[in-house]
Amino acid sequence: MTTAATAAVTVRAPGTPEPGRRRRRGGEAPAAWALLAPNLLLFGLFLLLPLLATSWLSLYSSSGFGPREYVGADNYRELFADATFWRSALNTAVYAGLTVPVSLVLGLGVALAINRPMRGRGLLRAVYYLPYVISGVVVAVAGRWLFNENVGVVNRALRAIGLPGVAWQSEAVPAMAALVLISVWTKVGFAMVVYLAALQGVPAEYREAAATDGASRWQTLRHVVVPLLRPTTVFLVVLGVIESFQVFDVVYVLTGGGPGNATEMLVTYAYAEGFDARRQGYAAAIGVVTYLVVLALTAVWWRRQRGREVVS
Amino acid sequence: MACHRVAGLPAGDHSDPVAPSSGSIPPPSGHGRGLSRRRFLAAASLGTLALTGCGTGFSLARGEGTGSVEGRLSFSLWAGDAELTVFQELADAWTRSSGVPVALNVVPFGELLTGVDAQLAGDRAPDLFRVTYQDIGLYAAGGALLDVTDRLPREVTQGFTDAFRQAVSQDGRLYGVPHHTDTSLVLYDVEAVQAAGLDPPTTLDEAWTWEEFTDAARRLPTRADQFPFAVNWQQAGAYRWLNWVAQNGGRLLDDDLTGPAVDSRAVREALVLTQGFFTEGLVPPTTSTKGSYADELFTTQTIGMVFAGDFLLPTIEPTLAEQGRQYGATFLPRAESAAADLGGNAVVATATSVNPEAAADFLAFLAGDEAQARFCEQAVVLPTRTALIERGLEYALRPDLMELYVEQATTISQDLVEQVTVPQFNAVNTSLVERLESAFLGNADAGEVLDGLADDIEGRLS
Repeated sequence: MTTAATAAVTVRAPGTPEPGRRRRRGGEAPAAWALLAPNLLLFGLFLLLPLLATSWLSLYSSSGFGPREYVGADNYRELFADATFWRSALNTAVYAGLTVPVSLVLGLGVALAINRPMRGRGLLRAVYYLPYVISGVVVAVAGRWLFNENVGVVNRALRAIGLPGVAWQSEAVPAMAALVLISVWTKVGFAMVVYLAALQGVPAEYREAAATDGASRWQTLRHVVVPLLRPTTVFLVVLGVIESFQVFDVVYVLTGGGPGNATEMLVTYAYAEGFDARRQGYAAAIGVVTYLVVLALTAVWWRRQRGREVVS
Repeated sequence: MACHRVAGLPAGDHSDPVAPSSGSIPPPSGHGRGLSRRRFLAAASLGTLALTGCGTGFSLARGEGTGSVEGRLSFSLWAGDAELTVFQELADAWTRSSGVPVALNVVPFGELLTGVDAQLAGDRAPDLFRVTYQDIGLYAAGGALLDVTDRLPREVTQGFTDAFRQAVSQDGRLYGVPHHTDTSLVLYDVEAVQAAGLDPPTTLDEAWTWEEFTDAARRLPTRADQFPFAVNWQQAGAYRWLNWVAQNGGRLLDDDLTGPAVDSRAVREALVLTQGFFTEGLVPPTTSTKGSYADELFTTQTIGMVFAGDFLLPTIEPTLAEQGRQYGATFLPRAESAAADLGGNAVVATATSVNPEAAADFLAFLAGDEAQARFCEQAVVLPTRTALIERGLEYALRPDLMELYVEQATTISQDLVEQVTVPQFNAVNTSLVERLESAFLGNADAGEVLDGLADDIEGRLS
């Protein structure tokens, strides 16, 4: 090594890239930006811009057209004193609290059941996944056909065997149950597919070792497989909760938020205020608060995952 | 969306579920899996090219669209089959005389105004759109509608009855034409009524009183999953509950339309009566204000009587004919007086239309005697023009029942019209939906419901 080269190495601060490497990075930057640009453009145009516009609109009283009136934080003050808003938030939490665990447990069960060589496995996987790719409105219309209190398939079947019909549309608990049942039907397929992918990564040696140690099938599942699936479960829980906070089409078509406000969700309430009552500033405030709640939930999950990795 | 979610899976999470439990950190993408940076960049470039390729197949529709453009009229509307046929026929007739084509943009009822709102906000509104009388005030107050007061011939504007001219006016200015109206009657299953030994009134003067109607309903034979009747006050039709209020001499809004007037004996009695329909099991609990439409239950024989608008006859008639059932109609119940709801729709032109003269001319044509008569006869709805009301129409369907509808429509009072066409009425209607639902299904105290409604109305009107 020459003296000059030694000096160059000596003066380079820790972490500073080598000159050659810096040149290569400089060359990569335009390509990186070029690759990022379409995504950033779409993100800015369809996510960031509407988000900022919604936040701005939430400070106004507006019917959607005509003059707007600046009202500052009035929409938010009204929101926090609005019993229907809190009821909607509670309903959304209950809906998430029921649909997410039930669809995960069923999804895992189905994934375990078809995670072995068998005839028609592909067909079964498609059948379970199909409801997830059907339009939410179509699913809800099918739900109305099933759960119509007067002429629905379920109540007719119940009456046919001498049982009383269930008040799916006019009582709070059955209405929420109908909503949860139809939602779970659509979500199980997605959970199944993700769990099925995750199960491919569970080493067979672990199961064999457990079996050698005398563990039963249930014990192997409980103490070996399920813990190994934890990252997948956490991912599905977070995704499911976020999805639950966005639920609209099924509720709008199946129950309309009723009876009373028993199945009113944050998004359906925002829609009703924005497009039925034409209070778009107030609806925007509901949207902003919902966004912040989802953001907080995601941040908690992200920090928790990050902390887990740091500890590891 | 589903593809997006699957693609969004963290690679290390689902391909290596052992990682967190075993304490190892999943390797970053692109390391140790044979995916070099060069390969990644090549794959990404290919992906971008693929997306670009997709992009070449996508372009915004050029040409007509639904916005207002010179040389043709765009008309956004919802319409049933019978309505659409006659709308098209009338548009073609006007085009033949004016030389200006009319593009009909037909969308479902529930989506029309949401779409129009977005188009107004985006300065892409159509020249004309169909709107309920309850919604017109909002658009007029927001400056979205063309003031047609001086654009329509006097013989056209003076041909409407006062109540309907009022329904499309604000501050003395005219913002559209009252294209037609409809109102409600009580339709009944002939067999069920005969089995109960009932003889429904055939003249307005003899219409059942509230008590007589309730007694008649109680006598209708019902199985376990059947109910005597249902009222058409669901969702946007919640304002039809005001019929009961008006029949009892009450009001929703005060005389100057700036505040609530629900703190009265008349309104309270109307609420107690209608609440009793639910607590007594006379109506299906699913037909509350947030529930399902009442006419569906009539055709499925779940109910023996239904409050229904004339515009439903084209749907009800063939269904019941197919079932071999007969149905008749009687007038709405009355208390101190008879009263009926203002149904029907107006057609309006937008303030941003680039064809205001043509739009006004089309409105004048559509609301003229001959065109309105043709529309009402074929679509089985009621006219708003005095000459047609006096002369009578030859309806394509159940002219015997339409005679009763015409007579019932004479009880639509200007007083009620004024209340349901204030600019904020759609917001007030939303409160009606909520408050009545709490009374009907939540069995809330009538006084508390009306106090809440009064607070809501004050807030909505302010």
